[in-house]
Amino acid sequence: MSKFFIWLLLLLILFISPFIGAVSLDVSDVFRPDSLQNSIFFELRLPRVVFAFFAGSILALSGLLFQTLFRNALMTPYTLGISSGAVLGAGVAIKLGLGSLAFGIAAISIFGFLGAMLTILLLIYLAKFLKNSHYESILLLGIALSLFYTSALMVLFYLGSAMQNDILLRFTMGSLSVIGWLHPITITAIGFILFLTIYLYRYELQLLSISDESATLRGVNTKRVTLVLLIVSSFAIGTLVSISGPIGFVGLIVPHIVAKLHPVTVNKRILKTALFGGFFLVFCDTLTRALQTQSELPIGIVTALIGGPFFIYLIISKGKS
Amino acid sequence: MIKLDSLRCNYGKKTILKNISLEIEKHLTILGANGSGKSTLAKALCNLIDYEGTISIQGRDIKELSLKERAKLISYIPAKLEVYDPYISVEEFVLLSRFAHKKNSMDYSDKDKKITQNTLEFLKIAHLKNHTINSLSSGEAGLTLIAGALAQQSKIIILDEPTANLDPHNCKIVAQHINGLKEYHQVILITHDLHLASFIDSPTLFIKDSQATYYEDDFFQDSVLKELYGVEFSNLAVKYE
Repeated sequence: MSKFFIWLLLLLILFISPFIGAVSLDVSDVFRPDSLQNSIFFELRLPRVVFAFFAGSILALSGLLFQTLFRNALMTPYTLGISSGAVLGAGVAIKLGLGSLAFGIAAISIFGFLGAMLTILLLIYLAKFLKNSHYESILLLGIALSLFYTSALMVLFYLGSAMQNDILLRFTMGSLSVIGWLHPITITAIGFILFLTIYLYRYELQLLSISDESATLRGVNTKRVTLVLLIVSSFAIGTLVSISGPIGFVGLIVPHIVAKLHPVTVNKRILKTALFGGFFLVFCDTLTRALQTQSELPIGIVTALIGGPFFIYLIISKGKS
Repeated sequence: MIKLDSLRCNYGKKTILKNISLEIEKHLTILGANGSGKSTLAKALCNLIDYEGTISIQGRDIKELSLKERAKLISYIPAKLEVYDPYISVEEFVLLSRFAHKKNSMDYSDKDKKITQNTLEFLKIAHLKNHTINSLSSGEAGLTLIAGALAQQSKIIILDEPTANLDPHNCKIVAQHINGLKEYHQVILITHDLHLASFIDSPTLFIKDSQATYYEDDFFQDSVLKELYGVEFSNLAVKYE
């Protein structure tokens, strides 16, 4: 029963979320055309909720995917340094002063995307030197890359002007603030592509969640399936992070919460994880707007503040069993 | 029929198996000391590891088979049932063995589910179908693995130490099921349980010092066993009848 209330609560938050913020909106004013309230609702709040929802879905699905493919609870695009790669890419674009647009896309986004994709390719390349069974080593590689990127980012801060540093700092804290529908529609489309890809490979994923060997013996081309799923999810994460900046912990904690709520095999948790991830990020984003004082709390900080303690709980409770 | 031609397997720089040429007409039991390369040979047969030489089944090189074709020909039962997903049930696990028979990206068919159900009933573990794999006892896990191999409907079934973790009672149940498999499947049994091996009573391949010796039907004699194992035997008792 408590399951039902958690889902219901999250669904309710989804509906009240667009009305919460610096300007509180009234339902009756919102639907009056040409009012300020109307444009705040349809051009700022609604796109933001849609963006947050699908961003959360992408983060949670990618987390589920990485954890299943590598059979390790700590594997996520965030812990593997893919997000950090995007931040560094964006940092380089800011430092070079590339504010201009190419085909309507900000240079920061392009560089961020490239940073994420280069990181996953580097990880796949480096993983070839590892023995197949030692996925923990990939996690160590990812952590090493993350630390390297963080140091490189510090160098950029050191070299940057005050204004560049301010833009960069805000980017590294993550933001779901969007204007208009371009970004929400992009992320919605990518969210659907990621979900569909995972859905098509749901039984391969279920076999991989037993072991690599079992999957191979039952006829799964494990290398190809793993590669396809990693590339698609890195593409999704790369695009997302290049727009929103890094948003940590969602990919790590949501798959675990869903598994605790619904202890069923992995292919039956795909849709639930996508929905919960979406609800969870909308909830965190609503908090940032509800708690605001002079300006909004950055979303990356809220998810980390909730996710950090949960992460510790996860490690401790794993040690007990 | 399985045909091995000058098979050689290395692990790093160490040679595990060398110069093995053999035609396996029907059933085979592979015996040998710990670390002698029994499992290596089994994994080579499934093309899970690199090897030199050729292995062919029914005249086809196994390296040229697609993964699904191979899964329809060979199933492999590991010594221990280990799953990462803590929530997968017995029924779901056995159903996954139908993967090679399933169309890409589609759900498992009613026929697949029927075969799974029948297999569970045949092995008398249908009452466990909603239990998670991790909650099973060793005996139940052993039967679940056999159910998986049966549902896969492959001609050849390779069993790697099926009785390694079992008490005598469960050994007997598993042994009788393995004996039953011989009717419709080609059973390749890897074990160092000599009681099990003599009960199954297939031609024997003994692996020692990376070489294999084949015994058609004269393996289970006290003098032969003493020479191979260096331990005194007297009338190896068969207990599984």
